[in-house]
Amino acid sequence: MTNMYISIILIIAAPLIGGLLYGFERIVKARMQRRIGPPLLQPFYDFFKLADKRKMVVHSAHAFLGIMHFISLWFALAVLLLGGDLILVIFLHLLSSALLILSAYSTRSVFSHLGANRSAISILAYEPVLIIIAVSIFMLTGSFEAGAAFSSNQPLLYKMPLAFVALLLVLPIKLKKSPFDVAEAHQEVTGGVELEFSGIFYEAVYTAKWLDYVFCYTLIFLFAGSNLLLGFALSIFTFIYLNALDNSTARVNYKQMLRFSLGVSFSLAFINLLINSLS
Amino acid sequence: MESYLSGLFFLPLLVSLLLLILPKNLVKPLVIVAAVALSAMSVIAFSNISGAQYITAPDYTNNIVFGLDVLLLCFFGWVAIQRKSLWVGILSVVQLAGLIYLFFNLSHTQSAQLMVDELSGFMFILINVISSIIAIFSLKYIEQEDCSPFRRKYFLSIIFWFIAAMNLVVSADNLEYFFLFFELTTLASYLLISFRKDEVSEKNAVTALWMNQIGGVALLSAIFYIHLNQLGDITFTNLLSNTGQQAILLPLAFISIAALIKGAQMPFSKWLLGAMVAPTPVSALLHSSTMVKIAPFVILRLSPALKDTSLSMVIIGLTAFVFVAAALGALAQDNFKRILAHSTIALLALMIMMAALGTPTTTIAALVLILFHGISKSMLFLNAGILEKVFHMKETSDMDRLSETGPFTAMVMIIGFMSLLLPPFGAFIGKWLSIETLGSFAIESKLLGALTIVAVAFGGAILTLLYFKVIGVLINRSGETDKISFEKTGMIYRATMYMLLGIITFSIFGLPWLLTQYFSPVSEATLQQAATVTSEGWNMLIGSVSLPIVPLAIAFLMLPATLLTAMFIRFKNVDRAKEYMCGEKVNYSFGSFYFSTEVATPWFYSIGIAFFLAMLMVSLL
Repeated sequence: MTNMYISIILIIAAPLIGGLLYGFERIVKARMQRRIGPPLLQPFYDFFKLADKRKMVVHSAHAFLGIMHFISLWFALAVLLLGGDLILVIFLHLLSSALLILSAYSTRSVFSHLGANRSAISILAYEPVLIIIAVSIFMLTGSFEAGAAFSSNQPLLYKMPLAFVALLLVLPIKLKKSPFDVAEAHQEVTGGVELEFSGIFYEAVYTAKWLDYVFCYTLIFLFAGSNLLLGFALSIFTFIYLNALDNSTARVNYKQMLRFSLGVSFSLAFINLLINSLS
Repeated sequence: MESYLSGLFFLPLLVSLLLLILPKNLVKPLVIVAAVALSAMSVIAFSNISGAQYITAPDYTNNIVFGLDVLLLCFFGWVAIQRKSLWVGILSVVQLAGLIYLFFNLSHTQSAQLMVDELSGFMFILINVISSIIAIFSLKYIEQEDCSPFRRKYFLSIIFWFIAAMNLVVSADNLEYFFLFFELTTLASYLLISFRKDEVSEKNAVTALWMNQIGGVALLSAIFYIHLNQLGDITFTNLLSNTGQQAILLPLAFISIAALIKGAQMPFSKWLLGAMVAPTPVSALLHSSTMVKIAPFVILRLSPALKDTSLSMVIIGLTAFVFVAAALGALAQDNFKRILAHSTIALLALMIMMAALGTPTTTIAALVLILFHGISKSMLFLNAGILEKVFHMKETSDMDRLSETGPFTAMVMIIGFMSLLLPPFGAFIGKWLSIETLGSFAIESKLLGALTIVAVAFGGAILTLLYFKVIGVLINRSGETDKISFEKTGMIYRATMYMLLGIITFSIFGLPWLLTQYFSPVSEATLQQAATVTSEGWNMLIGSVSLPIVPLAIAFLMLPATLLTAMFIRFKNVDRAKEYMCGEKVNYSFGSFYFSTEVATPWFYSIGIAFFLAMLMVSLL
């Protein structure tokens, strides 16, 4: 029962946690570049500033889909944190990304369209990997439920290290980190799908990114089983890895991203699946 | 049961004759009355079926069947001479020779020729209800077609005897009878595809003809093999009662090959893609409720015998491959109908795979997919017809701003696409059940299972991407007008859309009921093995797979509610901003991404052929 309460608290506090993570990330990233960086609460200051702005929309459908992106992502995260079915979680997450992509398609903005096309390709790059990981977890725990992975005594990491590596390789795509940040590439498509949002409506898309952080780190926790300490260790490792990677690599184009993801990450996850199914 | 079956056969046959001779003003009421009667009859027939019922036809029908077969093959031979197609000619002659030999050497035992069980009933509903709606739609469509008044009646007439033939395909037990109706559907598709009488139509119709005739030859081979090796009656029942014997593997392989050809699996996908040149209701008919659905039906029929054989492994391998290859093919298309056609082939592969796996859960998944795919695809194809006749659009890239010029059509199409693969609709359940059962399958059969999961995961992702790409085009609008007024497309068009929308709405809200009362009994009767659908706490158990009800229900409502609300919602007290254009004042046309599969297509076909040969090889060994 306590687990349930913890989950519910985590779900409610998810945007807060994600915001703090994002703030901290900006500091770490700045320090890596020998800058001081913004204060920890900078994302929240931005949040309040955005709320104050004049309300502008391209059209209502576009703004509404942005809001629904946030809500559906929160819902996907809730199902994950409550230990729900992983296949369902992946589908729900896909849906929420799809809503954002659709919102971009619904405008007549060139950059939104470019960004949406690229985001769609990114989904193709990471979604199969996630499903393979879910199936591997099923083979080890006998259940598709995230709860089974959270409560397994032996951390899944020991049985599926390659899948973990595969996850590390697709996370930058999901979190739009260099070298795989083609979808929002600021210098090329000026933010892509996010471009046409502003003010209070941008708020939804902006905080959805925080939720995505929590979502991704929860996926990391899946690998640690009931061993919380290992979970935190893995998360810290992932955190540093992601930021170091983001700071030290240059953006590749979407074809290279797709090729790498389906060639390397997908193969790794698949080899892991094969090992799991053969042993 | 006999009376229902003869009703389902003779009524459409009668209607098709009447349509040819009655004056023009009686056509419309006749079609509508027949459509209603057929739909009602199929539902009543289904609710009256309990267990397999055998129906013995009178002796003279054997001669009638033989006579019709010969006539049919002579017609094909005539087509071969007229179109100078060597293939059609050879195949017709081979079939004719085989048939005559069989007629004089095969002992016509007194075993029943027809068999109706829950699975046939399930197919009755799909065939009659959906095809009836398509027939009603065709009333208006064919009026706008450039052809003589008689050919218009002739078109409707073919549709009705096609329905009659389909109703008997799914209730034939004797393989000779099955062969006749199988060939009749081939004939119907030939006539429908060549309806427009231009060069491309004729060419594609001939392609469809010879490809499907290979299926006919395969069926005859199966009959020959059973006859020569004295394996008993040439019936499905007999084959199924010998489940587990090595000897029946080869006839099973032949029948499966015939089915997979009808189901347009690679390399035979070409005939279905070519069928696109026909008037759009034909595509709707072939893709949703008739023709291609023979494939998953036959595999389901055979699934108790196929299960765990080397043959079924090859079929699973083939369909896993086709699922991905056809999904990729779909992503390469711009023409709306071609996108739909490729995705039909992909989803058929998924259905056949589920049927071949043969566990209670996968059987339910296959049934769910068959039904929902039928509903959604017919809706989308009929809309393609409306787009073509009312809006004069054929490519998706032309559909830009459809949500402003034709908001109703855009809305219906969005619903159609959502219902194809995504929650809240049944097809999503189908896909989900597949992944979850394949998980168990992979534990049992290792490499193949793992590869199959990869294919489903991958193909599923590609298809989702594809559907969102098209939905993206459909919801595109400028912010200049806020007003939405539904366009006028005509009474019949609108009415058929409402019917299909009604069926879809019913299926969403009735899904729990449908699962327990509709899909589960059919699956149980097909496999002779209980397929339990129960609820346990907050979970719904379908066989071994448990579905969480609450998150599913929320997800069920969220997506359609979101997309529909997005079409109509208008925020108050907001200002409108122009899109960011980097300061440019150029009119852009919006493209999308495509993958080119032209280079890969010959490879796809070769791999497909290899799989088909492998089906025969593993059965021989």
